[in-house]
Amino acid sequence: MKWYLVITYISLVVCIAGCLYHVIQIIRHRKTRDFSKSADTVGSAITYSFTKAMNPARKESAYLHVPTYIAGMLYHLGTFLSAVLLFVFLFSIDLYRTIELFISVFLMVSILCGTAILVKRIFSKLLREITVIDDYISNILVTAFQVCTLVYIHFSLPVYYIAASALLLYIPFGKLRHAVYFFAARYYLSLFYGHRGTWPPIKH
Amino acid sequence: MEHLSTHTIEKGLEILRKFDDGRFLTSINSCVHCGLCADSCMYYVSMKENAFIPAKKVALIESIYKRYYTFTGRTFPKLIHAKELNGETTAELIDLFYGACTLCGRCNIHCAIGVDIAYLVSIGRAMLAEMGLTPPTLQSTVDAALTSGNNMRIATDDFVETLKWLEEELRDEVNDPDASIPLNEKDRNLLYTLNPREPKFFPLSISAMAKIFYAARESWTISTHMYDVTNYAFFTGNLNEARIIAQRMLDEVKKLNCRELILAECGHGERAFRWEAPNYLQTNFDFPVRTSVELLAQYIASGRIKVDKTLMKEKVTLHDPCNLVRSGGIIQEQRYILSKTVTDFVEMNPHGADNLCCGGGGGQLSMSEYNERRMKIGELKAEQIKKTGASVVVSPCHNCVDQLLQLNSYYKLRVKIKTLAELVAEALVLE
Ligand code: SF4
Ligand code: SF4
Repeated sequence: MKWYLVITYISLVVCIAGCLYHVIQIIRHRKTRDFSKSADTVGSAITYSFTKAMNPARKESAYLHVPTYIAGMLYHLGTFLSAVLLFVFLFSIDLYRTIELFISVFLMVSILCGTAILVKRIFSKLLREITVIDDYISNILVTAFQVCTLVYIHFSLPVYYIAASALLLYIPFGKLRHAVYFFAARYYLSLFYGHRGTWPPIKH
Repeated sequence: MEHLSTHTIEKGLEILRKFDDGRFLTSINSCVHCGLCADSCMYYVSMKENAFIPAKKVALIESIYKRYYTFTGRTFPKLIHAKELNGETTAELIDLFYGACTLCGRCNIHCAIGVDIAYLVSIGRAMLAEMGLTPPTLQSTVDAALTSGNNMRIATDDFVETLKWLEEELRDEVNDPDASIPLNEKDRNLLYTLNPREPKFFPLSISAMAKIFYAARESWTISTHMYDVTNYAFFTGNLNEARIIAQRMLDEVKKLNCRELILAECGHGERAFRWEAPNYLQTNFDFPVRTSVELLAQYIASGRIKVDKTLMKEKVTLHDPCNLVRSGGIIQEQRYILSKTVTDFVEMNPHGADNLCCGGGGGQLSMSEYNERRMKIGELKAEQIKKTGASVVVSPCHNCVDQLLQLNSYYKLRVKIKTLAELVAEALVLE
């Protein structure tokens, strides 16, 4: 087996183990008992939290910032696509070739979005107020991974595996772990608003 | 801020360690620093100061937590800008967590991820309270409640005198010498609470509720020993003091053996007793707890009281208290009451669970050092009110009413501010 593949496999194991650590932490610290009398809408609030509450028409973070929201969505989709392709490459699954043009174009758009987000972070005074080095590293690693994926589709260069490994190794330690915590955050929010009867909203 | 002793710092850090529950752990690890919550917070929207965005508050507590409790923060603090808890960060915490947040929770529902920002702020406040750094103005309100039994230090004799005077007025108004405001009666259906602002400044809201109880032929009582629905320790973050205040109310319900506790129109009072107190006290309440808003809606819906909406000729709008709607789930009841008591009702935009805070929540009304900010952030509410064209603003919260009254004169809104009970009492048809 090639050395860069070995590194990638090791990084993948580290990444999965790191993410599992966070999942275990979340489960270990799961909600302790709430003694107040529940409004009993927790079940439907959980569904609402992951569906309608994410509707861009209901979130100011989306509808007041349409370009950033769209760029963020495309960038995330590009990241998922690149992650799927990593498995395709690692396990030599030959199914992407038929759609490689589509994938390439999509990745190009996603890379542009990622770069735009990085530029915005650098130049926005508001964002600089809350930005830490981790934010830059995370953005650069993900964008570099997408660029290498795009290149690898056409030219099989080992640098692709280095970029993938760097990203995999970083995920559990930096802000990219929000890939795990995002689901827990939405769950806890629904627990709170469902217990109190705020979610799901009743139409009036 | 002057140098903090190691002991003080350890006390603060101990709170962060103690609150290491799933809700906290998740929120402290979820923020992606996108800044998209900025426009959901009235502090940022009204003052355009970057330091006031909700994410900044998250970043501050996150940076301290991670510095002490995570591998990355301990090993590579610069990477995530992990900060020590010291005089500098403490001063920042006090200014942002007490002075630039009403705990309204609006940012929570609009956050791109779902970070419980208001919860993180309340934990930051708990940390500061443990370190003895609660703003003295806010702490004095809690101290008043702890030492005198109510947050306005109203002497029991004065309180009883006010209620006796109101009882006389009630008898005259309903023309019934037997009409009463029962005090300290045992075995009644309802124990009714008050916000101390009522006997002190707005006794007409007590009259209004007494008239409604009279019309409903309710079996009710008020305790002269513990009637204060508020719990400002919920705002300071001092859970021991919050527990003492909550325990007193619980003891009073037991002592008077009433079947149900009715919380007066007070957003945070409702939140503090109905939702937080069972957890402060680690017990399930074995009696129902409802707000007067729910009770009024039930009286009307069941026909127990009759109201005539044509009596209200003016255009009315509603200000939703954050604690009642977003953190209490009471959104429809007040709208139902309004549909039965006024003919010309107009909603503010946004409203309900997406409402804008009036600016007086989170203990802001007690912290005079932040008065200027409070009036500035209230501008958004003032604009909302103006846009409705209403001449009456109703709000089921005495804290909100207080802030709205101040906004009314500051921004020359020329509107009348009322509680829901006052509105219902005006529409009441006595048979
Ligand atoms: S919107 Fe949420 S995730 Fe984004 S900066 Fe604000 S708190 Fe963090
Ligand atoms: S809870 Fe309200 S006041 Fe506090 S940061 Fe969020 S939106 Fe702003």
